[in-house]
Amino acid sequence: MKLLVVEDETSLLQSILEYFTQEDFLCEGVGTFATALEKIESFNYDCIILDINLPDGSGLKLLHYLRQNKKDDGVVIISARGSLEDRITGLNLGADDYLAKPFHLSELNARVKALIRRKYAQGASILELGNLQLDLLARTVSCNNQPIVLTKNEYDLLVYLLNNKNRVVSKQAIAEHIYGDQADNMPSFDFVYSQMKNLKRKLKEKGCDEFIQTVYGLGYKLSL
Amino acid sequence: MNRQLLQRNTRFLLIWLPLVLLLCSVVFYTMLLKHTHHMQEKQLMLRQTNVWNAFVSKSGNIDWQLPGEYEIVEGIASPGFPLNEPLDTAFYFRDSKQLHPFKKLTSHLTWNGKSYLITTYISSTEFSHLIIKVFVTEAFILALLLIAIVIINRKSSGLLWQPFLSTMEKVNSFEVTRNESLTLPLETGTTEFNELNKAITELIARINTAYHNQKQFVENASHEMQTPLAIIRSKLELLINQPGLTEKNAALIGDIMEANDRLSQMNRTLLLLAKIENNQFPETETVEIAQLLKKILTDFKNHYDDIPLISATIENTTTVQVNRVLIEVLISNLIKNAIEHNQPTGNINIKLSNNTLLIENTGPEISVAPHELFERFKKGSHQTKTTGLGLALVKQICNLYQFEVSYTYSDGWHRVMVIFDQAGG
Repeated sequence: MKLLVVEDETSLLQSILEYFTQEDFLCEGVGTFATALEKIESFNYDCIILDINLPDGSGLKLLHYLRQNKKDDGVVIISARGSLEDRITGLNLGADDYLAKPFHLSELNARVKALIRRKYAQGASILELGNLQLDLLARTVSCNNQPIVLTKNEYDLLVYLLNNKNRVVSKQAIAEHIYGDQADNMPSFDFVYSQMKNLKRKLKEKGCDEFIQTVYGLGYKLSL
Repeated sequence: MNRQLLQRNTRFLLIWLPLVLLLCSVVFYTMLLKHTHHMQEKQLMLRQTNVWNAFVSKSGNIDWQLPGEYEIVEGIASPGFPLNEPLDTAFYFRDSKQLHPFKKLTSHLTWNGKSYLITTYISSTEFSHLIIKVFVTEAFILALLLIAIVIINRKSSGLLWQPFLSTMEKVNSFEVTRNESLTLPLETGTTEFNELNKAITELIARINTAYHNQKQFVENASHEMQTPLAIIRSKLELLINQPGLTEKNAALIGDIMEANDRLSQMNRTLLLLAKIENNQFPETETVEIAQLLKKILTDFKNHYDDIPLISATIENTTTVQVNRVLIEVLISNLIKNAIEHNQPTGNINIKLSNNTLLIENTGPEISVAPHELFERFKKGSHQTKTTGLGLALVKQICNLYQFEVSYTYSDGWHRVMVIFDQAGG
């Protein structure tokens, strides 16, 4: 999978590149409008992570250029401007997703994966890990072919962990993923703990292995 | 002591005007008396001339005495008797049995070598009556004048100060946070008030600019902070995925993450506050509070195992015309507060009826004055995990939609009340 990251903050660019390289993406990173345009003209990418505020132009212009030239690279906008209007403007111009800064890398990863899955996987939308199976279209989970009944939150949580498998995902990232902007209005992240407890219990009841580890109170990790 | 300008003006007039008028009356009376005396003297002289002329032409064959009119006596005046000047005297009238005051003038005249003393009389009663009548009329006119001046003054002051009063009213209702400009008439018909209105208009413009700049600053600062916050967050995520993470390091990273998240949350809230102030939530819809409240309560109950016991009485009567995002923020913030600032095994009562939402929760008393609680960064407790912006946000949203919000504490219960009464809508 080829990924282009357009972000003028070098530190942030490096973080994103490092995270996605570990996910086995073929990553390229650029920091200016001009170099981004060059890359877009010359190559096709599966996904472009695009910052709007670039020193020599707006990321939205790049998006406009892409869509005018009928290039169907997936685009996820990352921007410091997170208001509803900004989102709508971005999505109307043909972006596939919009993520406001500061975001969690695990969230960005989940969004990019969802985007790529939408783009390529026709019908094949089954996530598998060991004896655990998850059907994204039907929104069902089964373990050893036994269905597991999960609440919406528990299901979202499991998908999120599967998208970020073999990685430590912080409690905060999970909270924000499940509640979005509403996470600010939540008293604390204790609910992540109780959701996770229920999810682990349900998986264990159906005989799934202990996939989910707790990492020193920082977060959780799903791995074989 | 401060009084209204009109009252002060009237008081001033009522103290000084009577004094001035009294003084005028005294002067008038004195002048009147002097002129009357002068006139009496002239009349006495005229009578004397007439009587003497008649006496001389008739060779003394007239009545030598006519009581109350004149008296001619042969001889000379005793020494020291004042001649040629009016003197007071009196006559007793038998029919009215009264003593009447008169003036007399005695002169020394000679005819055919003989000396005569001629005395003429004139009654003083008519003159004194005239003086009294004139003076009373004058006093009456002055009193009338006094009343007229005070009334006219009051009326004209009321009219003259009208532009000032309307300016005051507008300035009083001006609210810088509502982002309105103030329009004052620059032509009031009075130069001073024109200048006042001009000065106020300019002042308000400067205040609005300063306020706008401040808001812009907060918004820009919040935006600029997003990127560094994003960098810190991404680096921390990479850090927790490093192999060989020890428990001690994990604890350190956990603390940094928590602090960073609080910072992000604060920043987002400040940005939201700035946006509300900048009227960046123009789209509104009709929202049923009861429905929304039930949804939020269900959410809270779903996400927590151990929230305080919530008892809710919800009537389906309240609808408001608002932005859905903001009203959700408002209500969930209040419920979140009721949960956060509660005590173990505490209670929450929620009551919605008649456009009024009452949220009560048990909890320890707070140290901040109730009205300060709605200010930014005012915290009632020393819970470090809160941002201190939640109630400021509530207040801001209430201000935007003209809802009333109030807080009271009594007998171990915190009560927050929101009245959804939208003026004119």
